Amino acid sequence: MFVTEPYLELRTGPGRGFPVTQVVPRSESVDVLKRRTDYFKVRTERGIEGWAAQKDMQKVVLADGTPFTFPLGDRAGFTSHRYEMGVFAGDYSGATLISGYASFSFNSQLALELSAGQFLGNASNGTLVDLGLTHVFVPEWRLSPFVSLGTGIVHIEPKATLVLPPDRTDQTAYVGGGLRFYLTRRFFARAEYKSHVVFTSRNDNEETDEWKLGFAFFF
Amino acid sequence: METGLRILLLSVLVTALSGCASLRNWLDKDEPKQEEETQSEAAQAAADEADEQPPRVIEPEVERRKIKVPKIDTENVELGAVFGALSVEDFGTNPVYGVLAAYHVTEDFFFQAEAGRSTAGKTSFETLGGNIQLLTGDERRFTYYNLALGYNFLPGEVFLGRGRAMTSSFYLMGGIGSVDFAGDQKFAVSFGAGYRILPTDWLAIHVRMQDRVFDSDLLGESKLTNNLEANIGLTVFF
Repeated sequence: MFVTEPYLELRTGPGRGFPVTQVVPRSESVDVLKRRTDYFKVRTERGIEGWAAQKDMQKVVLADGTPFTFPLGDRAGFTSHRYEMGVFAGDYSGATLISGYASFSFNSQLALELSAGQFLGNASNGTLVDLGLTHVFVPEWRLSPFVSLGTGIVHIEPKATLVLPPDRTDQTAYVGGGLRFYLTRRFFARAEYKSHVVFTSRNDNEETDEWKLGFAFFF
Repeated sequence: METGLRILLLSVLVTALSGCASLRNWLDKDEPKQEEETQSEAAQAAADEADEQPPRVIEPEVERRKIKVPKIDTENVELGAVFGALSVEDFGTNPVYGVLAAYHVTEDFFFQAEAGRSTAGKTSFETLGGNIQLLTGDERRFTYYNLALGYNFLPGEVFLGRGRAMTSSFYLMGGIGSVDFAGDQKFAVSFGAGYRILPTDWLAIHVRMQDRVFDSDLLGESKLTNNLEANIGLTVFF
């Protein structure tokens, strides 16, 4: 890759705080060794290694003159990306919920999502795992609503001290919705509601509500 | 006489005419520009002719270089193990070991997941009271997991001797998780700080201090317990 700007600054580490100790002059070439967050480790023709910022690497061209392109992790990435991960805190029918999720996007609107959580309450503890589809209505919007639909399992461990009912594991189905709000860089906030139907072995099914709020990032 | 006069007159006429010719160049300064224009017009016309008739014998076979950018090795994931000491409130300080995974989203922020295990000791009541056992062996096992957001608060470099500089960072972390202790699982909030030194680009040494706070009613009354943990860790970037 060739430098087209007057010079390319190389830092001692992958961060804005690290000092610039080398510069690569215009029309000299660099080899990209690795990338960490928004910094690229490069080696110059003279064998010097350093870290170049993403915004400077955008102005570097390949040997045929075309610009060097790479996923930036900006608003455009929020609209269209491949993977997402996030962490939530919330409420699962009165119990405190800790949960995380990972998703794979088929396109900018539809994604397959796997979430796992643990709820800790006064009456019972338990874990739940959900697998489902999420549809984002307008991915271009900074605040964009979505709906979700899927199935899962829930494992409940009651905490009663006098009569101890056995642990139980039931299948569930859920429908939900929420909002995603792009914060900055690769981050977004996500608020979500899911209404679960727990298919119990008893005569009637249980309905439980799940509310959660958290941070997520895409890559 | 008559021929001599004729020669004289002719020579005067010739001189006058040549003088006029040189004067004409002096007076008309625009003349050279017009000549240039006519020259460029002629060149344009010649070029047009060349376009109309391309009788080139050799066709240049220049292949455009196709450049495929290889996949860039992104090293944002950090995996490793930690070992240290955990002070379980009322139950003494004991060794703790755990695993740690982090994803660095930007140069400033990272997500971190960790899990660890320790075995709590005896309360002073049990030590003094002789044969009293508050908890069974299994119940003394203290297991936690935690999901946290970290912030690289003070990035910098440390210098080892004359010729070695290692990047480092002081970071803050806060998260939520759960603690499994004394036969019960509790929601826990954790916060702490750590120091990370990278001897190479892919290896990191951590020194960390965390407080895991959860509500416990083991000793009769419900209270918020602070469980301090200090550990050192070794992680590798992928």
